[in-house]
Amino acid sequence: MNEHDASRRRFLQASGGAVGAGWLALHWPQLAAAAEHAHAAATGAAPRELKLLTPAEARDVEAIAAQIVPGGATPGAREAGVVYFVDHIHAGLYAPQADAFRADLAAFQRAAAEAHPDAGAFAELSDPQQLAYLKDIEQTAFFKQMRFLTVLGLLALPSYGGNRDKSGWKMVGFVDRHVWEPPFGHYDADYPGFDPYTKGRQS
Amino acid sequence: MSARRFGANDTLDFIVVGSGAAGGVMARELSQAGFEVLVLEQGPRFTAADFKHDELDHWFNNSLLNSPETSPQTFRRSAADKAERVRNFPSLWYARMVGGSSNHFTANYWRFHEVDFNERSLLGEIAGTSFADWPIDYAELEPYYTKVEWEVGVSGLAGASPFDPPRSKPYPMPPLPVKSSGVLLERGARKLGLHPFPAPMAIASVPYRGRPACAHCGFCIGFGCEMSAKSSTLYTMLPEAEATGRCEVRSESYVFRVDTNDQGRVTGVSYFDRERREHFQKARAVVLCANGAESARLLLMSANAKFPDGLANSSGLVGRNLMFNTYAEVNAVFEHELNEYKSVQVTRIVHDFYDSDPKRGFYGGGGFDSRIGPNPIVWSLFAPPPDRTWGAEFKALLEAMPRAMIVATHGTSLPLETNRVDLDPELKDAWGLPAMRVTYKDHPDDLAFSRFLQDRGAEVMHAAGAQQVWKGPVAEAPGSPHLLGTCRMGNDPKTSVVDRHHRTHDIPNLFVCDGSSFVTSGRGQPTMTIQALAFRAGEHIAGFARRGEI
Repeated sequence: MNEHDASRRRFLQASGGAVGAGWLALHWPQLAAAAEHAHAAATGAAPRELKLLTPAEARDVEAIAAQIVPGGATPGAREAGVVYFVDHIHAGLYAPQADAFRADLAAFQRAAAEAHPDAGAFAELSDPQQLAYLKDIEQTAFFKQMRFLTVLGLLALPSYGGNRDKSGWKMVGFVDRHVWEPPFGHYDADYPGFDPYTKGRQS
Repeated sequence: MSARRFGANDTLDFIVVGSGAAGGVMARELSQAGFEVLVLEQGPRFTAADFKHDELDHWFNNSLLNSPETSPQTFRRSAADKAERVRNFPSLWYARMVGGSSNHFTANYWRFHEVDFNERSLLGEIAGTSFADWPIDYAELEPYYTKVEWEVGVSGLAGASPFDPPRSKPYPMPPLPVKSSGVLLERGARKLGLHPFPAPMAIASVPYRGRPACAHCGFCIGFGCEMSAKSSTLYTMLPEAEATGRCEVRSESYVFRVDTNDQGRVTGVSYFDRERREHFQKARAVVLCANGAESARLLLMSANAKFPDGLANSSGLVGRNLMFNTYAEVNAVFEHELNEYKSVQVTRIVHDFYDSDPKRGFYGGGGFDSRIGPNPIVWSLFAPPPDRTWGAEFKALLEAMPRAMIVATHGTSLPLETNRVDLDPELKDAWGLPAMRVTYKDHPDDLAFSRFLQDRGAEVMHAAGAQQVWKGPVAEAPGSPHLLGTCRMGNDPKTSVVDRHHRTHDIPNLFVCDGSSFVTSGRGQPTMTIQALAFRAGEHIAGFARRGEI
């Protein structure tokens, strides 16, 4: 059973008697199309090639992203392929801003090189050096934009180039299913039902 | 019967501009009353298959919204400032599509309380504001609230809130299943002696009028509902209007002018079609339901020699008294998983602070609810406190998202004549029309009450046993999806734009009914009241037409 069939089966199970057969017959093609779209997007092959950024640019973008959401015991921005998201979106949806983004990145690279003349690039600095440097510039528009892009690259649909193996979604506990049933979490599992107020309004 | 197609030379009984919460109801009421109705909608007609669970596309690419690229706006705090073009996200935002914002809204459907209609009489004047009573009261609107609940479709539990106003019928559907956030809000609030209750939502909890029950996918706010469980006019009112055989919904038809003759009556409207070709369509009467920002802009854009300040603007109030609702957040993290990304946004509400209390020292009232805000990207970008926005602590916070929730507060915005929508003197939209200029600054009482309510929400989260609680910023609003007050209702033509039946004081065959009709802001969640007004107005307007009084 592929994921699409699974999604359809889950939908049928969850809707059960709640949805009339006639309604399903009428609307299933649309629902299937919606589900299929999300399915295709979610399982697209993770990209391994840059479309726009140079390797040197990509290394620094990846290094910054990896400080914003570090790896370690669980995958971070680097492992989620955020750099490919940043690359691809500036080759597509954000193409009008691509030149400005690369200019800001170049300015960041120049300033980092001035601060650390011995290192070849920001990406080659030690972990504590990178952290300290970013701490100094965390209020800049470029850093805020990198944080924005890192979050998008971590949590947007994998079809945008990041969120590799849905590792971003795993980090935040999000599961991309279309249909859920209660209980949704720990606290609603044993909810006894709404207890009406008998005394009326108190003021 | 299938949808009607009118010809270019047809004279319609009614043209309704806008197909959203108000326009959908208006189209259905007028067409079911026997009139020929053309609905002109600037946006496209999407189907269920067009709605995606794509947070980047819907929230950050504005794929459903009035785009800042093609429908730009400018914004300033006061008339002394130069308004700057708004980038990335519109200031006054709405879904630009058939069904309008009833597609992408959260679907919170509180009724207003009695106090929302007569608060000026109860509290007296508030200096420097245009605080006023409505020309109608709750009792007059009650049957139409009931109509919304039954004909549009609202889930809820009648009598659950001790603060609810009287109602003539229970809800047609039971409340949606409670989420963990609702349980925790309820737990904390009850401990503090408050009265949380199940949220009324315009989302089907059981199959209703040919639509299925909610599948709890979690993609409500900012998204269209591909299951058609959300009671959008796209799925409810508009198909019923088309089924009369007397209604056409013409999408991608952007009305840029309401035309008038020498007698000062409306003759029809001019609009651009998808290819930006100009058309004129004749009508005996026109009803603007284009939303609380665009209806005012259209009246201003329609200025001509006879009406140099715009149509229906003898009071000078078209576009003024723009109101939002204040909004603030409390974040909380608990010990166990809530998984708030599942199911509808809101399942419990607290209305204990609905009424304004002079003892607080400032005007204001409102409610708060439980939710998360709303999907993974938006929460990750906006929920973290300033010291945890990146690095290892940020990652730890992201990993805590399954255990996180938000208390969202909703409060009053006082009407101020200085807060307004008008036409930008320089910037044009992609069709060459004047861009919308927004001037808005919250009244100090609005922000004071917002902080007050946020503090109450934080207390509830502590009482519920949260491990972490932190408050989001309370700041002057950069904009809102609640677009209210710009063509206010009233009995006096000097102090209002439309009368108690939504007829403009100045032009007998021109009506305006949407969020712009509001005299005061209510406490939040205006769509329920917008639709109740539309049902009521539709009945009266049909009566006028039948009696030859238009």
